[in-house]
Amino acid sequence: MGELDVAGAAVRRRLLLLFLLFLLPAAVLAHVGSPNVFFDGEAGPHPIRVIVRPPEVVPGVAEITVRLKEGSEGGQPERVTVQPVYYRTGIEGAPPPDVASPVPGDPGLFAAQLWLMTQGSYTVRVQVGDGVALVPVVTAPTRLKGMQRGLGIVLAALGLFLFAGAVTIVGSAVRESGLAPGEVPDVRRRLRARIVAAITGVLLALVLIGGKSWWDSVEAEERADLYRPFAVEASVRDGVLALDINDVRSREWAPLIPDHGKLMHLFLVREPGLDAFAHLHPVPRGTQERFEVALPALPAGRYRVYGDVVHESGFPQTLTDVVDIPAIPAGPATDPDDSWHLAGNAGDGGLTWLKIPLVAGREVDLRFEAKVPLEPYMGMMGHAVITRPDGEVFVHLHPVGSFSMASQQAFERKLGVTTAHAHGHQAVSAVSFPYEFPRPGRYRIWVQVKSGGRVVTGAFDVRVLPRT
Amino acid sequence: MESIAPAAAVSRTAALPWHVAAMLVGSTSIVVGILWDISWHMTIGRDTFWTPAHMAIYLGGVLAGICGGWLALKTTFAGTPGERDVAVRFWGFRAPLGAWVAIWGALAMLTSAPFDDWWHNAYGLDVEILSPPHMVLAAGMIGIQLGAMLLVLAPQNRAAEGRGQGVRRWGIAFVYAAGAVLSMLTILLTEYSYPNSQHTAFFYKASCGVYPVMLVAAARASRLRWAATLTAAFYMLITLAMVWILPLFPARPMLGPIDNPLDHMVPPLFPLLLIVPAAAVDWILQRRGLRGKTTNDWLLAVGLSAAFLILFFATQWLFAEFLLSPASRNWFFAGDMQWSYGDEPGAYRYVFWQLDEDPVTPAGLGTALLLAILSTRVGLWWGSWMSRVRR
Repeated sequence: MGELDVAGAAVRRRLLLLFLLFLLPAAVLAHVGSPNVFFDGEAGPHPIRVIVRPPEVVPGVAEITVRLKEGSEGGQPERVTVQPVYYRTGIEGAPPPDVASPVPGDPGLFAAQLWLMTQGSYTVRVQVGDGVALVPVVTAPTRLKGMQRGLGIVLAALGLFLFAGAVTIVGSAVRESGLAPGEVPDVRRRLRARIVAAITGVLLALVLIGGKSWWDSVEAEERADLYRPFAVEASVRDGVLALDINDVRSREWAPLIPDHGKLMHLFLVREPGLDAFAHLHPVPRGTQERFEVALPALPAGRYRVYGDVVHESGFPQTLTDVVDIPAIPAGPATDPDDSWHLAGNAGDGGLTWLKIPLVAGREVDLRFEAKVPLEPYMGMMGHAVITRPDGEVFVHLHPVGSFSMASQQAFERKLGVTTAHAHGHQAVSAVSFPYEFPRPGRYRIWVQVKSGGRVVTGAFDVRVLPRT
Repeated sequence: MESIAPAAAVSRTAALPWHVAAMLVGSTSIVVGILWDISWHMTIGRDTFWTPAHMAIYLGGVLAGICGGWLALKTTFAGTPGERDVAVRFWGFRAPLGAWVAIWGALAMLTSAPFDDWWHNAYGLDVEILSPPHMVLAAGMIGIQLGAMLLVLAPQNRAAEGRGQGVRRWGIAFVYAAGAVLSMLTILLTEYSYPNSQHTAFFYKASCGVYPVMLVAAARASRLRWAATLTAAFYMLITLAMVWILPLFPARPMLGPIDNPLDHMVPPLFPLLLIVPAAAVDWILQRRGLRGKTTNDWLLAVGLSAAFLILFFATQWLFAEFLLSPASRNWFFAGDMQWSYGDEPGAYRYVFWQLDEDPVTPAGLGTALLLAILSTRVGLWWGSWMSRVRR
């Protein structure tokens, strides 16, 4: 019978307004079409992988799995808990942790569900034994769910039955309820009953039409509240790409903070062949409403633009646009960490993908080996960018997962917790990225690593099979 | 087994027939369940299908479905001539009118379940009382409560005409059932009825549009002299019981963000003092409006509404000031206890809201009066019809 919830909507609306004014935005997400959050790290002595599947509506339920990986020191922990911590209210305002249940048949895997009640910046505080890890997650409504045909038919049938029942009851009431016991209704009563029943039918129909219009208005409100990142406009002039943030919300929201030392990670992908790729780091000009970067020598064409940024509360978003880049001579790089890759170059950049079957919706480790020892590139042993030819999926991954490091650091400061990561800065010659392809189809993966002070980029085309 | 028609059998036992008692229990269970569920969502937040509050609501639906269904099957297939004589027909079946209304209510409640579940999946778990699927649920619950009311009304009217006994007993059962319906109506308006909102025009418009219809209809249909007063009293008693009992239970929020740490269940709002205008409704109707004493219900509606508005406005306006004052912050009035785990502490709790956006003005009161007249007039018509229901 559903939850007939809470009072005080007026109070809530006031508070919501306060949230919007003082905290942060409605809905933004640091990816395109790839909502699940992956985390590879350590909770105290326990190496873990956490996957958070955020709800598509808010409030909604996040599905969380915690996998204990090999190499745990001090034996297997007995207890795994997860707790949603909202940025504004911190640990004091968090509900008690939920115990994650072991998944039968998969030793070391624990699962839990968490209600995320408010839009904004959360972290899931994962506790394994005494060890703690923070996995940042943002919540925002991202999808309007249609009604399944079967359910629609059932509800329509029930509705029709209730409608007919109500009209019949009113007719019976007028016809017979006022009669003395045993008395039979005369013609006049019968006629009156029919007329009143007909009027009731019309009135009920009007009520239903009103209800439908109410439903439509709720739907329209929800649609307006759906995730949309800041509106941005990319342009190129004199070899410089500018990204203007043309969104009134940008002045109300918390300022941007650096992620891996950069305020923005901007990715360019040439359409339609995905044959040119660049990872640049624009810098703000004046305010944080305009970012600029000198373009490398990219072939002319139409490029998709993805700008990853993180707000002060740990709230990340990906700003997207399309821009036409003319043939231009390369200017001096804005940032020594800028890098790019063209189809004419060696495809794999000296990297080898350890191929495994890829199935949509199934957790995998995308592992790449280099022939040379690797060194950190912007604080990470590797960066991977995954996209589909149709542009409907875009995600920026690290060996530690898909969450924003800046978000995690914001929460670490707030909660006084430090999360260790399995992939530190020790000398390695391979990188591995935890991921789960959201849909079947063709994807291109660019993997970026640094060796000998030089950034190398490998491009890999993969086919992801549908889940059977 | 005693049954619907033979009031003699009823009077011998001096108790209501089991199915009537069960329907009244169901009607009460729904009100208790909803108030409990609202408290649950404000205090604990997280729920399942099986929370005790949900159980109480389901109990109401199940009792209505079983009693209504049993009455329909018994009357149709195994009814005595006496029982069949006081039934109405529905698609070939026979049962008292109240049974059909209650069955309809139970089915509407059932229908709302998958609708509401889908709604939460599509738009997120709602934190509001008024939504389309909740309205289907509310229609079902009020249907059950109206069914219970009609089930005691018909024997009351027959007894009053000398076709049975126990007019007073049926009468009290009737106003109790009406009080339960009134409680549901106040729950639907909870979001607009915080003491902080009781100096806005909308509060008086909504209250005048909704409450007079039930009070006036109950007064006119009942054979008791103070029916509206008793109806309001039963509403206040049910609500007060929840105001006093719920906070006795320790509880803590299980959802976040938590802005208001709680250690006990949140009580509902202190009930509206509807007993005051209700007494005036009774007083006027005793003189001008009972069967045969007046000729023009429109004029009567104007008088009743004016009395309702003046007394309701005066009482509630002043009482709201009291409820926002430190003097109300005790277990009896539960002032300052109605805030959910998500409601930040702050000065806003102790002030009137929307005084600038929606102040009470003469025009606003005029609109409230018009709505009260309409509501009262419908109540008079409905009450007159109910006073003639015999089956």
